[in-house]
Amino acid sequence: MLRNVFLALIALLIAVGGGTLSAWYAVNRFDGFNALAIGQWTAHPDAGTPLSDPYAKARTAREGAFPLGSAEGLAFYAYNDDKGIALSRQCTYSLSGNSPNSRFWTLYAADLGLLPLDAGAGRLPALHSRQILRGESGAFTVTVSPQAQPGNWLATTGNGRMTLVMTLYDTPVGSNSGLVDMTFPAITRISCNG
Amino acid sequence: MGKLIRTLMFGLVGAGLIHIAVVLLVPYYSDRNAWSRISAYGGDWQFHTVTGETKSGTVRLAFDPLFQAAACRFDITDLPAHITGIGTLPYWSISVYNRQGENIYSINDRTAIADQLDLVVATPLQMIELNKSKPISAENSVLIEADMDQGFVVIRSFVPDDSWSEQVAAFLKNANCSPLL
Repeated sequence: MLRNVFLALIALLIAVGGGTLSAWYAVNRFDGFNALAIGQWTAHPDAGTPLSDPYAKARTAREGAFPLGSAEGLAFYAYNDDKGIALSRQCTYSLSGNSPNSRFWTLYAADLGLLPLDAGAGRLPALHSRQILRGESGAFTVTVSPQAQPGNWLATTGNGRMTLVMTLYDTPVGSNSGLVDMTFPAITRISCNG
Repeated sequence: MGKLIRTLMFGLVGAGLIHIAVVLLVPYYSDRNAWSRISAYGGDWQFHTVTGETKSGTVRLAFDPLFQAAACRFDITDLPAHITGIGTLPYWSISVYNRQGENIYSINDRTAIADQLDLVVATPLQMIELNKSKPISAENSVLIEADMDQGFVVIRSFVPDDSWSEQVAAFLKNANCSPLL
């Protein structure tokens, strides 16, 4: 008799504990299905629309964010470099290549919660496609570094992990079926200090 | 032994049910969703500047640093919402969200009529009336049919550099959000 009660209690504990913990984890950490990945960059074209899955909906509701609509733009996030190593604020990275079709784009460094980092000392918090220097072929190289760099420099400060956010505005990327041809700048680590 | 396995099975199935229930209910019971964030800015039928910081306890808003935004809450149960703005900017876009913060319609300056911000959000029933006779004030408006009562719009505008900041701020400040009579 007592043993049955005990077993029932264990079942209840697993159900309530496991269910709540896994739901908490999924809502806070999991971005949802249907990610669009190009190289190291991922985006969620369905995020914040009625079409998104329940996990993405729950996450949006917790963050209180209002994601970009399909006619506005699409944000791509990069958490790792081309070797699969997590991006660090103390390292210098080179982003080179071209960007997919869009009217313009912005690029900034953010923490893991996607909040923009403070570049400090009156530096620009972000770069955009109308101000950067390009090569003869139209390709560009952006150097993400805590130290001043020639050319296109995106300043970072502090330490810890970071996320690079590249947002394409007025772009057909999210709705285009020719996704295979999309090119994004590759993220290569140059050096690290500390 | 069999009893223990059965206990574990019950536990796991229960955990799955609770997991699903929690995930599905979060959007309805969350007190820090987009709607409450915008409610904290001020009253409805009026544009408020969207800032990253809000009252303590809420998550800071992840936002493109090169953008400024303004949001307006409305209730279209009785009258459609009319949103207008005048100005020439490098880029602006506007999204219509429902109470749950789902993006149901978006438009940018290139897809708008004559680059002007002028749109009407109406329920399906109001839309029938609007199609029959359009008020003169909404002659050139983009009509958006939305099956909802409460919702909000967010205007975002690109600030390429600081010299644009004032102009963009003025555009967002002068944007108008009012019931369409």
